[in-house]
Amino acid sequence: MIGRRRLGTGIRALLALLLTCLAGFPLYWIINTAMTPTDVLFQGGQNLVPDFSRSLQVFSVLTTDTPFLRWMANSAFVAFGTTLLSLLMATMGAYALSRYKFVGKGPMGFLFFATQMLPEALLVVPLYSLFAALGLLNQLHGLVLVNTAFAMPVALFILKSAIDNIPYELEESARVDGCSPLSILQVMVVPLVAPSMAAAAVITFFDGWNEYLFATTFIEDRSSWVASTGLASFIGEFSTPLDTVFSAALVFTIPAVVFFLLMQRKIVSGLTAGSVKG
Amino acid sequence: MTTHAPTRDRIPTADPPPRNKRRRFSWTPYLFIGLAVLYLVLFAVVPLLKGLDLSFTDTRLLNPTGGTYIGFENYERLLGSGAFFKSVLTTLVYTAFTVVASLTLGTISAFVINRKFPGRTLARAVMVMPWAVPTVAVVLVFRWIYNDSSGVANAATTALGLGERGWLTDPDYGMFSVVVATVWKVTPFVMLVVLAALQSVPEDLYEATRVDGAGSYSTFKLVVLPFLMPTLRVVGLLMTIWSFRRFEIIWLLTGGGPVDATTTIVIDVYRQAFNNSQLGVAAAIGMLGLVLSLIVTAIYFVLELRANKQNGANA
Repeated sequence: MIGRRRLGTGIRALLALLLTCLAGFPLYWIINTAMTPTDVLFQGGQNLVPDFSRSLQVFSVLTTDTPFLRWMANSAFVAFGTTLLSLLMATMGAYALSRYKFVGKGPMGFLFFATQMLPEALLVVPLYSLFAALGLLNQLHGLVLVNTAFAMPVALFILKSAIDNIPYELEESARVDGCSPLSILQVMVVPLVAPSMAAAAVITFFDGWNEYLFATTFIEDRSSWVASTGLASFIGEFSTPLDTVFSAALVFTIPAVVFFLLMQRKIVSGLTAGSVKG
Repeated sequence: MTTHAPTRDRIPTADPPPRNKRRRFSWTPYLFIGLAVLYLVLFAVVPLLKGLDLSFTDTRLLNPTGGTYIGFENYERLLGSGAFFKSVLTTLVYTAFTVVASLTLGTISAFVINRKFPGRTLARAVMVMPWAVPTVAVVLVFRWIYNDSSGVANAATTALGLGERGWLTDPDYGMFSVVVATVWKVTPFVMLVVLAALQSVPEDLYEATRVDGAGSYSTFKLVVLPFLMPTLRVVGLLMTIWSFRRFEIIWLLTGGGPVDATTTIVIDVYRQAFNNSQLGVAAAIGMLGLVLSLIVTAIYFVLELRANKQNGANA
């Protein structure tokens, strides 16, 4: 019995090592490629150990030869804007769906779910003409607006299930005491669902940070590009050296990964309390 | 499931307190949810209806307001052509492989990470990271890995004596390469969700089966798996509808190629709209794709209902 358990632990450790390598390799390869001179890269003899002494040089080329930092700032604006706007609407909507009965509740819930099915590639054309009419093309605000339409329903579902899971008694007595629903939501509910709010915030932030299709279609002006568009513009062009391209990919990836790792535990508990509970 | 039921009952549901049961009409919920609903109507429903409208026209990209109504002609032509059904088939193949592979790998990862072992924190951090990597960065590194002459994929297969492959240039390998990149990116999501569910398996459930003398395999089959099934079904549905509409990773890796090997429905929509400038045809393809997602979702809800009924009968 003990032997079998040892064996199980051994197999598990091996599996863990294998899965970690599979998950880690492409990440490591981004770093490694960024740290290898381009001519070496195309001779097919890419070193297995990144040469970090090149990092300063590589990043200075990135900041002087490309507007990548500007694009990163634009991405940050879009991502934070998407997060704020999504959470504001999602929290209020989730509270209504969780705590009230009202006519039209079912169809509204379906509306939120159904947006998960809509392909961006289908909506991009009608949205383009809508944005042209509203004067939102070539504006980062426009990207915030369109990203929110896709990110907000996800946040709403996470928050609705979180609110479903907290007891109603406290709110009830506060309501009897004459507190307004909005202040109940702010003072009592929001602090209790903070982990799920964090999870929803990370997920909506990623939507804004990652989004490529609308950003590329709606923004023509190169200085207003976001990082995903800028990075994708390097694909298939050969004037930017490959190590510079990969250092851009690295700079674009690091904030997302760090943010995600910091929030990881909150995401797990948010998802536990959230929609996908077993 | 039975241990779950009491907690569910204790949780107050959406009902207002009994005293207010004689429902007076209240504006409050509408004020709370109104903004979000109006928002989606403006940015999702209106564009969708506009797309539906476009699908009955022969609108061109360069003259977006100059289309004329041609009835069901776009749909008739699509349903009569092999190319559309090929893109449906490609979508189904892409979806099936992506969903099965990511659910399997994600569940295995969750089980591995759920137990203590040395280096678990690091392993776990690395295993969830791909989810946070922006799609465009994923595409860049996988294009480089798959590169014909300098990529590490070919270096590896050559070292193993298998020779070189055109990972993104050979129609036989295009789908495989796209699925691998996708699975790498989305598996951590499955892992996190399954892990969250695993950690909510009540400890006394394990205890009970252990006392009954069940081995670890039968513990898994009899206790853990039934507990996980609802979670796996939800994740499976999400993965499926996300795969139906996934655009960026396929478009930037292969653009639908080589030779249409990875032209899924959404890639077809985009190509018709922006390469062939056929907005009407593109909209029609998109609508048919949407119908397909709706069918899958409906099947899911039927299965879910049936599973719930069975659970109810067992309890």
